[in-house]
Order: sequence, then C-alpha cells, then structure tokens
Amino acid sequence: MKMKKVSVKGKKLMKSATKMNKYALGFGLSLVVTNLLNAVILVVKEVSAPVMNAMKAALGHHWTTHAALLIFLFIILGAVFSTYEVAAKWDSRKMMYYIIGSVVISVAIVTVFFLPYLIA
Amino acid sequence: MLNHGIMMLHVLFGVLGILCAVALFMDVLNAGAKNYQRIKILSLTVAAFLVVSFLVGGYWYVTFYGAERDIIKAGAWPWAHNFFMEVKEHIFFAMLLLGLYLPIAVYKNTPLTSRKNKNLVLAICAMIILLGVFMEGAGGIISKGVTIGLRG
Repeated sequence: MKMKKVSVKGKKLMKSATKMNKYALGFGLSLVVTNLLNAVILVVKEVSAPVMNAMKAALGHHWTTHAALLIFLFIILGAVFSTYEVAAKWDSRKMMYYIIGSVVISVAIVTVFFLPYLIA
Repeated sequence: MLNHGIMMLHVLFGVLGILCAVALFMDVLNAGAKNYQRIKILSLTVAAFLVVSFLVGGYWYVTFYGAERDIIKAGAWPWAHNFFMEVKEHIFFAMLLLGLYLPIAVYKNTPLTSRKNKNLVLAICAMIILLGVFMEGAGGIISKGVTIGLRG
C-alpha cells in the first residue's frame, strides 16, 4: 500500500515537471503565430502594391514596418496567450514540434516565394 | 567608412550570437545545478546579441543598402539581391523571434534536467545556429554580388 502511494506521487511529480509555465506557453504560441505571420505579411506586401506603399509610408521603409509589426505582435500575443488557462494541456515536447513546424513552414514559404528570382 | 564599420558590427554581433547559441546548446546538453546560472546568462546573451545585430543591421539596410542593391542588380549576380538578400532579410525575423523566446524558455520552463524541457531549448538553439549559418553564407554572397557588380 505504501509503495503504491509513492508511485502515484512520483507519477504526479513527473507530470507536473513536464507541464509548461504559462509564460513559456503563451510566448511559445505567440512565436508560432508570429513566425507564420512573418511569411504571410511578406507574401501580401510583395503581391499588393497598396499594402507595400502603406508599409513604406508607416515607418519610412517596408522592412522597418514589417519588423515593428512582428515584434509588437510577439509581445501582445504572448501577453494575451499567457492569460489563458491551457498551460496544463501543453508540454514542452508539443511546443517544440509547433515551433519547429512554424519555422520550417515560414522559411519554406519565404524561400519558395523568391525562388523564381534565383532560377531566372 | 561608416557604412563598412556598421556592416562589420552587424556581422560581429550576429556571429557572437551564433557562438553563444552553440555554447548554450552544449551547456543544456549537460544541464545541471552547477551550470544552470551560466545557461541563464547565455540565453540572455544570445537574445542581446541578436537584438543588437538586428538593430545595427536594420539601420545599415535602411540607410546604406540602397546604393549597393543597385550595383548588385546591374551586375552579373542580380540574384544575390533578388533571392539571397530578400530571403535573408525576412528569415532573419524568425531567428530574432527565436532569440527573444530563448530566455523565456530557459527561465520559465524549468527544470532543464527534464528531457522535454531540455529538448525545447536545444531545438531553439539548433534553429538559431542553422539560420545563423545561412545568414552568414547569404551575407557573403550578397557582398560578392557587390564586388562582381563593381567589376561591370
């Protein structure tokens, strides 16, 4: 009986050690979303002249506006996501896969978008 | 001269960020109570170097790059700008955001002796290193594009 109690407690301890802190989760999710938005913003501004012009007008250079927008979104989304009570459903492994996935997708979109210029 | 000095600073801080990410990767592989303080400092250092590299490089890009871009596009390697610079300047954001998240993952997702927590930090470091190596290579190609453009 005593053995069983220790085992259950041990399992609980192991589980809580792998659950994510709310800030690690919130800003991790924000990183995933912002990474994907990076690629989306790039495609939209490159194919839409009005968007490109608006971004140039906002902070003097489209790249500066792009950077400011992403950093702003990363902070705001991170703060918002950190308030959600979903941390118990996430662990670091899941977050790792999401972050790797977002980086791979974002890098692939950016690279493929400009690939015709390399081949031409 | 100021143009080249600022460019060299951008590269210097970028390389220092990558080197610190390599050091952090090794430290996290062997994470324990003894090196946890160093892991925390290294995570902040990576973030700081990447932010400084971003600010310095961003200033250079906005202020000085236009003239060099015209030289590259008129030369034999227009793709040095059309592909490598365009990809570099946008993929850099992924690296910067990973760098900003790194200290949060280290400080808020303890203990690093847990395999899942450790793997998260290792994956972030690995992505910073890989993207950083691409940045350095792309930077070299862009620089060569200017040289070739100047030859006419």
